Amino acid sequence: MDLSLRDIDVSLCSQSIISQVSLDAKQGEFVGIIGPNGSGKSTLLRTVYRVIKPDSGAIFLGDKNLKNIKLADSAKLMGVVGQFNHLNFDLTVFEMVMMGRTPHKQLLGPDTDEDYQIAAEALRKVGMEKQADRNFLTLSGGEKQRIILARALTQQPQILVLDEPTNHLDIKYQLELLSLVKSLGIGVLAALHDLSLSAMYCDKLYVMKEGKIIASGPPKQILTPELIREVYEIDCSIQENVNTGYLSVVYYPTPRYA
Amino acid sequence: MMQSLKRRNFILSLAALAAAAMLSIVLAVCLGTVKIAPAEALQILLYKAFQLNPGNTIDQISAAHMDIIWKIRLPRVLMAAIVGAGLAVCGTAMQSSVQNPLADPYILGISAGASLGATFSILINAAAGGMGIAFWAFAGALGACVLVMALSSIGGQMSTIKMILAGTIANALFIAFSNCIIYLAGNAEGIRTVTFWTMGSLAAAKWHNLALPAGGVLLGCLFFLAQSRNLNTMLLGEEAAITLGIDLTKVRRNNLIMTALVTGLIVATCGVIAFVGLIIPHIVRGFVGSDHRRLLPSVILTGILFLIWADVLARSLLPSGELPIGIITAMIGAPFFLYILYKNSLGFAGK
Repeated sequence: MDLSLRDIDVSLCSQSIISQVSLDAKQGEFVGIIGPNGSGKSTLLRTVYRVIKPDSGAIFLGDKNLKNIKLADSAKLMGVVGQFNHLNFDLTVFEMVMMGRTPHKQLLGPDTDEDYQIAAEALRKVGMEKQADRNFLTLSGGEKQRIILARALTQQPQILVLDEPTNHLDIKYQLELLSLVKSLGIGVLAALHDLSLSAMYCDKLYVMKEGKIIASGPPKQILTPELIREVYEIDCSIQENVNTGYLSVVYYPTPRYA
Repeated sequence: MMQSLKRRNFILSLAALAAAAMLSIVLAVCLGTVKIAPAEALQILLYKAFQLNPGNTIDQISAAHMDIIWKIRLPRVLMAAIVGAGLAVCGTAMQSSVQNPLADPYILGISAGASLGATFSILINAAAGGMGIAFWAFAGALGACVLVMALSSIGGQMSTIKMILAGTIANALFIAFSNCIIYLAGNAEGIRTVTFWTMGSLAAAKWHNLALPAGGVLLGCLFFLAQSRNLNTMLLGEEAAITLGIDLTKVRRNNLIMTALVTGLIVATCGVIAFVGLIIPHIVRGFVGSDHRRLLPSVILTGILFLIWADVLARSLLPSGELPIGIITAMIGAPFFLYILYKNSLGFAGK
């Protein structure tokens, strides 16, 4: 299922945060959004997963305008791993993952064996099947992140929206999580911090600065030292690694303090 | 396997709680200034309720005992059960609806809003009889809900601290106004005392005024039981609930209206009984977890048990007369409030 944004404007507290953003994530495509802190990545994603309403513009899921789809129906198509997963109440890991079945269930419908199997399978995919009975609040930040991903997988979505999913994760789990998401073959829209990782996994990158998209395309075409300097105000060198074929981004120290 | 075993244990413990509640009703009608033997009380209950007369010994029971049990104590014990269930369910639903373990009709000033509505309606004599008072109590409770929600979302996100402060403000404001009404009206207009409105009492429970709160509490229980799945999802926070397909604004609004209705009906008949909605959900959550499909039925039964026995204490601690029941629940509830604050360190203990 294709996700497309057309001319989205968002303002919060009458301050413009996003202006005229258009973006396409085709069926099965891994699309990354990169950009410095405060460039509007999270706000854009929160608009996509319907926590914020855009001032103007439209978001399409398939050929339907998102605002004409019921929340419960879009939740069957779109799974989300957000940045803030603080809980005031404790749940077991398995209960947490089972919440992903919510959009598929009637209010009074009981959980079926199929629901349990889907949740257990998702837990196995993120490598947390042994922790099913633990309390969510006792997990480390990285473990919580993986449980939230398992919850999103339990929704059986066509599209995953991830807001800095590798935050809190050490490098092993960063690679595991991104590889897992990529292997699902469903559409992914992810805000990412790490430029080398985004070049490695994304089919297409959108580069944001001050609420606008200033470049987009396959990583190897658009990631250049000039672009990075313009967006992040730093110097770097970008090369294709001879062994892996992936882009590697190597930074120079900031001249101001060097 | 695991799931079915868990379910069996849960159903067993629910049955045990229900049995304990039934037993408590029988025991609670025996206790008071006049002590009546449980066997005798059971006989009277069976005879009066089902016309059952095992052993044909009903003639040996004094008419006075019969009246004490059937006309005075049973309505009161049933009222305790209704109020306990209602307040406990409201607390549970509010905590989930605003993702805050400290939400409770008393702490957030909803009960105080209801008592202002009730005293106001008596003052203006708007509509005599239970319905009029109940309606105004509901209006007051709803007004309090709206005020507290508005105050605690000033400047964006709702937070625990803002919500507790908003509740304190609402409480102070509503109590001041209703005390003012009571003070000005004097005793002449059947407005009852400040003690009644701020500390609650089940002493006025009679068969004829049971129906309204009973109906409201039953409706509330059924409504929230049906909402279990939504209440579960709302525990995860606003953003997560939306991404899981919950229309948060609508669901939360409906939940708060229902809470205001049940609280209003309870306060109109029994005054403000503090902290029940805070204590019971917390205790029960410790045993059955946060899943509302298990939590709510257990909360209802535990609320019934708790308030029946709190009322027994209220009417038997003093050699003559009785304590307002709100004093008992507050004495248990306030330290509990402190404990929850400390344990969760909800932004208070420097976390």
